[in-house]
Amino acid sequence: MNTFRNLVRADRNFNILAVLTLAVVVTMVAVLGDRFLSGSNMQSMATQIAEFGLLALAMGLAMLTGGIDLSIVAAAVLSAIVCAKFLSGDILTITDSNSGLVMGVAILAALVTGVLCGLLNGLLIAKFSIPPILATLGTFILFTGVGMVITNGQSVAVALPAFANIGIATFASIPMIFLIMCVAFAGLAFFLKYTRNGRRIFLYGENSVALRFSGARNERLILVTYAVIGLLVGIAAIIMTSRVNSARVGFGDSYLLQAILVVVLAGFDPYGGRGRVGSLFLSLFMLQSLQSAFTIMRLDPYMKTFIWGAMLLTVMVANHILNQQSAKRPVAALPPQAVPKARENVGVQK
Amino acid sequence: MEKYLSAIILAYIVIVAVKNPLFFSPETLFDMIRSGSGVMLLALGVLLVLVSGGIDVSFTAVAIVSSYLSVLTILNLGIDNVILASIIAIAIGTGLGAINALLIHYLKLPTLIVTLGTMSVFHGLMAVLFGTKSYPLGQMPDSLANFGSANLFTVNTESGRYGLTVFLPIVVAAVVGIWFMLNRTLLGRSVYAIGSDEESASRLGISILKVKLFVYCTTGGLAGLMGIIYFSELKYVNPTSLVGTELMVIAAVVIGGAKLTGGEGTVLGTILGVVTVQLFDKTLVFLGLSSSWNDLFFGSVLLASLMVMYRRQRLADRRNLVFVAS
Repeated sequence: MNTFRNLVRADRNFNILAVLTLAVVVTMVAVLGDRFLSGSNMQSMATQIAEFGLLALAMGLAMLTGGIDLSIVAAAVLSAIVCAKFLSGDILTITDSNSGLVMGVAILAALVTGVLCGLLNGLLIAKFSIPPILATLGTFILFTGVGMVITNGQSVAVALPAFANIGIATFASIPMIFLIMCVAFAGLAFFLKYTRNGRRIFLYGENSVALRFSGARNERLILVTYAVIGLLVGIAAIIMTSRVNSARVGFGDSYLLQAILVVVLAGFDPYGGRGRVGSLFLSLFMLQSLQSAFTIMRLDPYMKTFIWGAMLLTVMVANHILNQQSAKRPVAALPPQAVPKARENVGVQK
Repeated sequence: MEKYLSAIILAYIVIVAVKNPLFFSPETLFDMIRSGSGVMLLALGVLLVLVSGGIDVSFTAVAIVSSYLSVLTILNLGIDNVILASIIAIAIGTGLGAINALLIHYLKLPTLIVTLGTMSVFHGLMAVLFGTKSYPLGQMPDSLANFGSANLFTVNTESGRYGLTVFLPIVVAAVVGIWFMLNRTLLGRSVYAIGSDEESASRLGISILKVKLFVYCTTGGLAGLMGIIYFSELKYVNPTSLVGTELMVIAAVVIGGAKLTGGEGTVLGTILGVVTVQLFDKTLVFLGLSSSWNDLFFGSVLLASLMVMYRRQRLADRRNLVFVAS
């Protein structure tokens, strides 16, 4: 019993989220029944979640460092445009024999574009000390501008039908792109937990000055972090292109607000240093359940906007109240075995 | 920062003028003033928020919500008066601003995320409760439409008649008012003080809540007034427009030297920032470039000025062995 209590206390945020998700899913099943549980709904949920999940993961990584990335959607759209350009036959002529090669080049081009976009952000933040929110505001406008100049505001169509298979393909009736997203989540969770740079990201978010004095190379860390963000964005762009079969400026604008919502909902501290990939996965799942329920119920898009905003504010108010309560609780009241544990994990855990 | 930006603007004007002499006409100038008026009002609000150390993305939603509700009110009351419409819009905008201020003050969370939430709540709630019916020229209040085309005076040229809009005195009054407040009153200096260091400001005896209420209410009020001007200028009341352009306005103010870390920013810089946006918006055609190039130019200038601004700060910090959490 004691261990259970400690477990609950250890990560309250995660537990609240798990209960909340369960409540949402149970309500959905109770209200919508088979329409929610049906295989086709599950499959469409898994398909829709993929590209958005990757963008949310990228946003979460930026928030762990105490930053924010306003340019993720713009960078994803730019990468998708580059990808679609290669697939449209404008740059490389497509014949029957080289379609595989063209697809490979297009995928590589999207990834490279994503990473370059991320590196530019990292460079501005690390080498020029521009606050992340301003640097990414600038690159958001710049990436949109580059996309506009390339496409003239038109949509770029994919001329290679085989490319759409990426978005449709399933493995044991689970959509392939959902599996790609899961791999990205698992990979990032591993990176954050077991690699040196991963642990340092948490410390950077908690106290970057302390990290600098501990001898770490802060600037390189930020460059690496934003390059990883760019890589995630590039993967999202490939999924986006294959699902829509075209790319244009302005696609997915609503993702930015939703990505921030999901990350804050998952208990990431916007000031940096706290956040769990597992929580992010849960909150993503919860939001997608709500989203598909809204679709089944044919809800007004503005009603959705309102609900997202209200949820964001509610979560923040709730977090604020909870944090105040835990701050009031006297330290002596903690169970004795919890104290050394807390000391051991200072600045890095949770 | 202002000098650097002025140099860019001058260089750009010279290039455009050499390339296309048509640029120097009252038509271009009057057109830019007319379409820049609304943005200028929003930018003044953003400047206040940035100086106080915050960032607000809800002001476009506040502008649309307050002015749309005000238009609905005067349509239902049957009183077709633009002054009444403006007063209602400013009042609603101020109220919404107060909600922002209270949330920001009590939650102590990043203002970006709080206002992102209120933006969706304000706009979503308005659309759900009052609908999103738009009113074209024939159906919107006549006084608004007339206000939009009213001119201080008109100039006759070979290509037609061009008037200087009545928005100009309103904007000038707002600019002078904000400048005076920021630089010559205790309240204005308190805004700079809480932006530089909230803790120190509070120990000086400044009421943080009062200053924040003032900052966000003024921003809301300006946004409300801007909404009326916006609808009048377009001669089309559309409650789904404008929201989504807030980052561009913030960028315009940032280009003018206001720092997100608070405590820095001038009215002159803000004016120059808005002029830069308007120049790229209106004059790229004179260079033979389509409007697709707007964002590319603007993004590059924004990043360049950010780089200059923060590089200087960084070098100064290194020299003084200041290790800020960056």
